[in-house]
Amino acid sequence: MKPDKPTIKKLYALSNEGHKFSFTLPLKNIIKVNGREYSVELREDEKYGVHVLWKNRRYPVEIVRTKQNRYEILFNDIGHIFTVETPVSMQRRKVLGTGKAKSTTLVVRAPMPGKIIDVLVRENSEVMRGEALVILEAMKMQNEIQSVVSGTVTRIGVKTGQNVMKDDILAEITVK
Amino acid sequence: MKTARQMDIKCVAVRTSAEPDAMYLSMADIIHEVDDEAAEIPVFLDIERLIAIALETKCDALHPGYGFLAENAYFAEKCHDNRITFIGPSPDAIYKMGNKPVARQIALKHKIPMATGSHGSVANEDEALLHASRIGYPVIIKAASGGGGRGMRIVRQESEMEKMFILASREAEKAFNDPSVFIEKYIENPKHIEFQVLGDMHGNIIHLGERECSIQRKHQKLLEEAPSPALDEQLRKTMGETAVRIARAVGYYSAGTVEFLLDSDRNFYFMEMNTRIQVEHPVTEMITGIDLIEQQIRIASGEPLALKQEDIKLSGWAIECRINAEDVQAGFAPSPGRIEKISFPEEPGVRVDTGVRAGSSIVASYDSMIAKLIVTGADRRQAVKNTKMALDKVWIKGTKTTLPFFRMLMRNHIFQEGTFTTSFIEKELEKYHASSEYEETIAAWLATKLFIEENLSEKKNNISFDQGRELTPWLLRKRLTQF
Repeated sequence: MKPDKPTIKKLYALSNEGHKFSFTLPLKNIIKVNGREYSVELREDEKYGVHVLWKNRRYPVEIVRTKQNRYEILFNDIGHIFTVETPVSMQRRKVLGTGKAKSTTLVVRAPMPGKIIDVLVRENSEVMRGEALVILEAMKMQNEIQSVVSGTVTRIGVKTGQNVMKDDILAEITVK
Repeated sequence: MKTARQMDIKCVAVRTSAEPDAMYLSMADIIHEVDDEAAEIPVFLDIERLIAIALETKCDALHPGYGFLAENAYFAEKCHDNRITFIGPSPDAIYKMGNKPVARQIALKHKIPMATGSHGSVANEDEALLHASRIGYPVIIKAASGGGGRGMRIVRQESEMEKMFILASREAEKAFNDPSVFIEKYIENPKHIEFQVLGDMHGNIIHLGERECSIQRKHQKLLEEAPSPALDEQLRKTMGETAVRIARAVGYYSAGTVEFLLDSDRNFYFMEMNTRIQVEHPVTEMITGIDLIEQQIRIASGEPLALKQEDIKLSGWAIECRINAEDVQAGFAPSPGRIEKISFPEEPGVRVDTGVRAGSSIVASYDSMIAKLIVTGADRRQAVKNTKMALDKVWIKGTKTTLPFFRMLMRNHIFQEGTFTTSFIEKELEKYHASSEYEETIAAWLATKLFIEENLSEKKNNISFDQGRELTPWLLRKRLTQF
């Protein structure tokens, strides 16, 4: 992040699904949906913890994790991931052409901590969408971790018998 | 324990080091401390130790619940040997129904409709291939001692057999200490319908209607309801009588569940019998008005059933949502954590069974259930509507839960119509959760707010909000648990 610029007038929140939201600074307790304005409030109390008050109803809020300008927020029990950009960083992003289009390699991560029971593919092997890559045992269940894309396995990050943490890289698949 | 207290029975509970503040302890009359720091196997799986504790605390009877040792014939046997009443069926019935090939043979002998399959266990892949070509693909490999969806694999073609056979067998060995498996014709897109039966030691057996358990993922039930939208009076009668016949074949007493698959032509096939009380038993209690645990205790003490088949009247509709600590967006991956806040609606027609309160930890070594939310209504439409409202009033902070899945499910038209099958979640649902444009916008607003606090604010971590309160990201993050 660049040092504070008092002149920032706008911020953009880009969702993982590619949706773009813009907010004018200073940030008001207002959101705009389909041209209509609604007031929202962030609150905290003993009974409910941190929550948002919107249309006379409370919704639970959690920050799951933050990493630089990337935020994972749990709102009403559903996770949302946003990167927040200033007009300057937004411009740079456009120039660099970062984002989804650039990446043709899919990183498969462990969805939960557990133990690798079996590795079913080798490096350089072709996999189809839905094909099992590894068997991960967690909570007494053996789970097949499947590829969500068709492509070539360019890297395998684990060995049979190895214990993994959540988000450890299991494999990388380059999309055809 | 709640039922036992109402019956003036004193309860002993065991405190373990994994859950020293567990809520079940608050309902017990006597808490027995165990020192399990050095234990090689969890106390709740240690038969000798549990028996010793029961003897030491002079228990007359022992209720095995619905996990751990509830379907262990040896455990039931040991209880009998030590003159402790096992609140459940006879060890013989547990053994016969627990071993699936044996259960199949008994069912076959009593002309119970079943999917064609191997008679007995299948030794290896080659034998499995032979059976499969006789039965016809797709077939399903199941653990002989299995249950709960573990050790099961569907095989659609010959080439998959070797891999699936090994997977199923290995999973079976891990989960049930028994690698043996058998093979059955796989019924495509069935409904999972199960019947609650109740028998006494004097040969009386009745059924309490069915439960619809087709909302499942990877053979794990997520939602159950009673009755089933797929059954009419006639089919209920036929299937119920079949369930009673199976129970009678093994001289069953106590509460038990006979599971069937129902295909799209309304043919039904016996799948297995669970010789214990089940997680989903409350939906039956809600529509019959019968306390199943009370019945189990009465039966175990030798009382004859006071109820006759004609006394069983189903009234209204009940839906149970299993609220688990699972990350719906990560494919229902377990999401252990510490429950920071938890509250449920308290209103007529809503029952909550939970062993968790604020401060409780959902530990990875047990299962991920937080609570069962059971909601009733005069008919199915009303029950769905009431469930939708009740779900919105459930408040859980500290861990991800399956709540978004149920909120979405209640709004799904296939669910509302009741025509779903066991493949509904995997095949017909594109997303396991739904978020409105409003919700996404609010989340974006929150992310932006955080960004400002972290990067643009003059005094970091010291932001005041409208109500004059000071609320910083750190305060927010304090509420977090490890994901």
